[in-house]
This record gives sequence, structure tokens and C-alpha cells, in this order.
Amino acid sequence: MIPGNKNNRDGLIFSLPFLIVFTLFMIYPLMYGLYISFFKYNILGSSTFIGIKNYISMFHDSKFYSSLWHTLEFVLITTPVLLALGFLMALYVNSKSPFRKAGENIFFVPYIFSMTVVSTLWAWLMQKQYGLFNHVIVSLGGKPVGWLTDPKWAMWSVCIATFWWTAGFNMILMSAGIRQISKEIYESAEMDGASYRQQVTKITIPLLMPTISLCLILQVIASFNVFGQVFVMTGGGPYGTTRVLIQYVYETGFQYFKMGYSAAMSYVLFIIILVSSLLLNKLGGKYDNQ
Amino acid sequence: MTTSRNSAGRILLRIFELFILAVWVFPFLWMVLTSLHLEDEVVAKTFHFFPQHPTLANYIKAFTSTYILNWLLNSIVIAGLTMVMTLIVDAPIAYAFAKIKFKGRNILFWMVMAGMMVPFQVLIIPLYLQFNSYGLINNFMAAVLPRVSLPIGIFILKQFFEGIPDALEESAFIDGANRFKIFRSIILPLGSSALATVTILSFINSWNDFLWPLIVLNDTEKYTITVGIANFQGSHGTQYALILAGAVIASVPQFIFYVIFRKQIVESIALSGIKG
Repeated sequence: MIPGNKNNRDGLIFSLPFLIVFTLFMIYPLMYGLYISFFKYNILGSSTFIGIKNYISMFHDSKFYSSLWHTLEFVLITTPVLLALGFLMALYVNSKSPFRKAGENIFFVPYIFSMTVVSTLWAWLMQKQYGLFNHVIVSLGGKPVGWLTDPKWAMWSVCIATFWWTAGFNMILMSAGIRQISKEIYESAEMDGASYRQQVTKITIPLLMPTISLCLILQVIASFNVFGQVFVMTGGGPYGTTRVLIQYVYETGFQYFKMGYSAAMSYVLFIIILVSSLLLNKLGGKYDNQ
Repeated sequence: MTTSRNSAGRILLRIFELFILAVWVFPFLWMVLTSLHLEDEVVAKTFHFFPQHPTLANYIKAFTSTYILNWLLNSIVIAGLTMVMTLIVDAPIAYAFAKIKFKGRNILFWMVMAGMMVPFQVLIIPLYLQFNSYGLINNFMAAVLPRVSLPIGIFILKQFFEGIPDALEESAFIDGANRFKIFRSIILPLGSSALATVTILSFINSWNDFLWPLIVLNDTEKYTITVGIANFQGSHGTQYALILAGAVIASVPQFIFYVIFRKQIVESIALSGIKG
């Protein structure tokens, strides 16, 4: 079909800009980071090869364990809630309510605001002395809560802000999934006298499973990478009770300049994310061929 | 039969809906209201919902005593550059994946998709050292370059380009056009809606990026707005009204962006999520 087949040449030329960027800023750093992780690498001084000592150090580093645990805590709290919220919102914006369009905008808009705007705003709402939440609690006769300063509450407070910020993203994905379900299925169910609840549990949820499992994987990956909102809202405090792994990677690398150790930790996080998304993918695999 | 009971229930349901929607909007309203308060009103013993003496003082102060205008411009420049370069890098290879049967295409495509699995955080240490050795720390290009390849963008564009009929290309070939001409005058114009989707995704990603600009842009006046506001909160920790005015200023461009591109933003997210 093509005169003077130059497919190989053209394919290469058209791929070239991407290949250059991809090699320079993805493949090379990926390899280089792995290399560094075997060194006691100090940007200011010399570096020495220490084999897998960086990886061994992690086992004895209580800060590594606690940061890993806080990350996991964040994943375990936010994933189910954000999936459920996203699903309920998606149901709502596909219902017959006259406010569904307004709902779609209102639920989604927080997501487009940057993390720092959202964190700043929620840090203010949750401010201990002058924040709105505590004004309400006090006026109802309660004691002010240290939303961001009490170790009992700090992680939950960050999670609450995250719910408000990102639930709309899952709503969009699930809503697009719901819209792909054929109307006829609902119509015939309705004729058979199925209630709204039956339609949701017997039709919407089963047919939405591919989208739900996709949302689950995206959510887990995103939650493992949490950093910004914690950094802005609590700075990892109180007493390191909200310090997540990315923050520890950041501090180790850019405050203590232990680049090798920092790189090693980020690889461990990478492997954890990779393994959990592969596992989830396998779990969700039965929904793939729909 | 049960119309009256049903309609009473419906009204209650609508009231409940409105209540939830109001709760969801409220934080924004609260941000704007706070920013219009006088600073000592915010931390006064008695609590005022509405500002007693509404003022724009915080906004004036934000613009005059901080670098907020610089930060906004920096964000626009960085997000704009990222957006343009993403298209330059992503569109040709997506076309190659969709329409050119070249050797190694499958392996390459698999590699691009694998790249999607790599969290950016793994790259920060090596990338920092790389840019440090190029002497590009504090340079906008350091903030732009690592964010330029957008594998999900390639995927979206490839899907779209595949839908463009081969017949169009073939007849152009017969008319003597080469690949570059076809790419420029057939594929790009026909793919404009997919290109818009990718542009928007890339813009949002870049604008909201936090960790990477925090690392590579060290001078206060070089911050992006996202980093600037976070820093603002750290250094003006007790000037709540001022901080919130800053947050309002930072969110205005995003809000305008949303109002203009609402449909495409929602579509691009639905597309990138579902197909990703």
C-alpha cells in the first residue's frame, strides 16, 4: 500500500523525540538511581560502594518502619472511603435528581485545585484555636480538638481533607462506567418491578466491576505516593505520627543528603507499589475480558 | 395511590441533597470569607461568620509583600512549556504506534506502557543529581523536562489516531505526500480533540506538581504557585487571612481553566482513567 516502504525509517523518526526524552529522564535515572542505592552517596563529599548495606539499614531504621506504616495507614483508610464516595457520587450524578448537574460540578471542582490550596484551606478549617471546626464544637459545648496537632487525630484529619479533594476523580471514572451500561437493562429490570436498590446491587455494581477494579488500582498507587497534603498540613508531625515514606525519602535525600539511602528507600517503595498493583490486577483480572 | 407520601419523601430527599452539596461547597466559601476578614478579626475572641469590616487588604498585601505574581507567572510559563513539549514528544510516536508498521513497534509500546508504572518519586534523587550536574538547578527547564513525556497521553492519542481511516492516508500517499506532510495536514487536524485532551492533562499535571518543583526550584522568586503557597503557609504561619487570600489568588486561574474547559477536563479524566 505504501510506495517505497520506509516504515522502519519513519517509525524511528517519529519515535525519536519521545525516545530521547524517555531515555534521558526515565530509563537513565531509573538505572542511575538503582546504582546510587548501592553507595554511601553524599552529594557534598565522596561516595563509596557499600553493596546492599543501604537496604539492610532499613531493617534497623525505626523511622523507615514508622513512615512505611503511616503510608500504609493512609492507603488503608483512604482507598475504601474514596471508592465508596466516588461510587455514591457517580450514582447521584446519574440519577434523576434535578441537582445532578450541579452535583457533578460541586463534587468534581475540589479535584482541580492544587494540593497546596486544598491543604491550606483544610489546615485553616482544622486550626486548633480559630478554626471553624473547633468554633462549632466549642459552641456546642465540646472541647476543642487538636485536629492537626493531636497524634490521635492528625492522620485522620489529613485523610478527611483528601476525601474532599479527590473523591470527584473517582466519581468521573465511575460515572463514565455507569453511562456505558445499556439503558435497556435498567428499563427491563424496571418493568419486572425491580426497586432502585435492586437495580444498583444487581445491575450497576456487577457491570461496573471492571471500572471499580481499575479505580481501586489507581487509588492504591496514588495513595502510596501521598506526600504533599501531609507535608503542608502537618509537616509530618505531631512527633512524626503522620510522616509518610515519600516525606522520609525527601528528608533523607535533601535535608540529610544521604542520597544513596534515600534512593534505596524509594526503590523499596517502588517494589511495594508494583507488587500491590500486580496483585490487585490479578484479583481484578476476572473482570478484564468484558 | 401514595402520591402525597411519595412527594413528601421526595422533598425531604431534595433537602438532604442540597444540604450535602452545601457542605461540599462550604470550604470554598469559607476560604473566600476568611480572606476578606481583617487579620485581628480572624483571631478575635468572638467569632464572626461574616467579616465585620470586609476588606481587600489581604489581597493587596499578598500582591505587594510577596512574590505571588512571580509564582503565578512561573506556573504559567512552566505549565505552558510542559504542555507544548508534551505534544511535540507524544504526538509523533503515537502516530507511529497507530499507523506505521515498523520493526520493534510492539516492544517499544510495551516499554512506554511499563513507564506508566514507575512512580515519579523513584526518580527524584537520580534526576536531581542529573540536573545538578548539568547546572540546571533553579532553572525552569529542570521543572519542565522530566514532566514532558506523558505515557498516558501517547495511549490516548494512539487510540484516537487508530480511528482515522487508512484510506485518507493512502490517497494522500498516491497524491505524493510523504509521512510528514500526512502527519501535519491529516493526522494532527483530525486528531485535534485528542490533542486537546492531552494538552489539558499535561497542563493540570504540571500546574499541580509539588514535590519536583519544590526540589529543583530553590529561590523564592522562582517557585511555582503551588510551591509558593505551601511555603507561604510555613513562613506566615499565623497570618491566616493573608494565607487564605493567597490561596484564593492561587485558585482563581484553576477555576477559570475549569469553567472554560469543563467538558474536556472531565472527558480527559474519564478517558485516561478508563483506558489506562
